[in-house]
Amino acid sequence: MNAPDRYERFVVPEGTKKVSYERDTKIINAASFTVEREDHTIGNILRMQLHRDENVLFAGYKLPHPLQYKIIIRIHTTSQSSPMQAYNQAINDLDKELDYLKNAFEVELAKHSREY
Amino acid sequence: MEGVSYQRFPKIKIREVKDDYAKFELRETDASMANALRRVMIAEVPTVAIDLVEIEVNSSVLNDEFIAHRLGLIPLTSERAMAMRFSRDCDACDGDGQCEFCSVEFHLRAKCMTDETLDVTSKDLISSDHTVVPVDFSDSSGYDSADKKGIIIVKLRRGQELRLRAIARKGIGKDHAKWSPAATVTFMYEPEIHINEDLMESLTLEEKTSWVESSPTKVFDIDASSQQVVVADAEAYTYDDEVLKKAEAMGKPGLVEIYAKEDSFIFTVESTGAIKASQLVLNAIDVLKQKLDAVRLSEDTVEADDQFGELGAHMRGG
Ligand SMILES: [Zn+2]
Repeated sequence: MNAPDRYERFVVPEGTKKVSYERDTKIINAASFTVEREDHTIGNILRMQLHRDENVLFAGYKLPHPLQYKIIIRIHTTSQSSPMQAYNQAINDLDKELDYLKNAFEVELAKHSREY
Repeated sequence: MEGVSYQRFPKIKIREVKDDYAKFELRETDASMANALRRVMIAEVPTVAIDLVEIEVNSSVLNDEFIAHRLGLIPLTSERAMAMRFSRDCDACDGDGQCEFCSVEFHLRAKCMTDETLDVTSKDLISSDHTVVPVDFSDSSGYDSADKKGIIIVKLRRGQELRLRAIARKGIGKDHAKWSPAATVTFMYEPEIHINEDLMESLTLEEKTSWVESSPTKVFDIDASSQQVVVADAEAYTYDDEVLKKAEAMGKPGLVEIYAKEDSFIFTVESTGAIKASQLVLNAIDVLKQKLDAVRLSEDTVEADDQFGELGAHMRGG
């Protein structure tokens, strides 16, 4: 009866930002990113990619509530980097990894269709 | 300002591909990537499915909404779905979702005129677009090609009739499972099995047999000539720990060590037929890339923070 509409899970409401950024007021080089209408799919790959960055001291994400369709990613870096830089770097690296993966899959697929 | 790259270069090995089935190995990446791909294949790769039904006549035994629901679940060929528009962001038909860019129209007319029961199937759905039609399972591997029947929607007796118009739209599994192109998508960690040969040789043939048989799946075997225990099929292992418990119970802990390789995954992808299994994997990679692109920081967020930085420097007396 009062369940939220299904599209609420993936359509960003008008006037809402997809990603908002908030610096930590107490710790330098720490910040939270609120990502609207995303879940574990994005949260977990970003977190794990951030862990590969040696300038990242802490990276974590949470899905605060199953009916609040957003995730919060928290990043703390050394003074060599910044949360924003680490965040951008993680996205770029994942993007390149997926490009590489797609190419690798296509090469393998072509090999297989020839064998058919 | 550009930092060093922490990019990975994953390896792929396809073991088997058929139209609706694929099995492949994914290596040199982590579980988060494997799981993201699996989740996207199930819930976020788009297909086309019937979403609106206008019933003109229905004198069948099933009620209107029951039939509408069944129509929604019929897989439609969706090679075009990636390039189609979602009705909600289609500007050609501002929101009614019935234009050629975001929808496909279907018609169905069936009436039973004989004493024999008439089966109304997915084959009776007439599409306005030859690229989007109900998936045809009959000619795949000659599965009883004698009766090319399609998916049964309803059965009619003499005098009963069904007449309707349906609109199929692009959607994703996250919205409703009818839009999911995936029948099953799973991955497993590749197991690495080490047998302690010295300890194993201290066992009698009878003990070896009873240990080998303690595994619920056929992971180990005994070589007929040498009577040595060998790994028959490592991937048959279901991480059930039974052989480890058995070794313990026999007073031989450490007889075998089994690890899950943390960077190697074996994927099994089965498609509903809406798109090919191999295409499903490729589309999932594209969708995941689009999702990542969407979560990039916007210019104004970066600018606002730069100003914050200056303000901070000012307050610190810089
Ligand atoms: Zn439209």
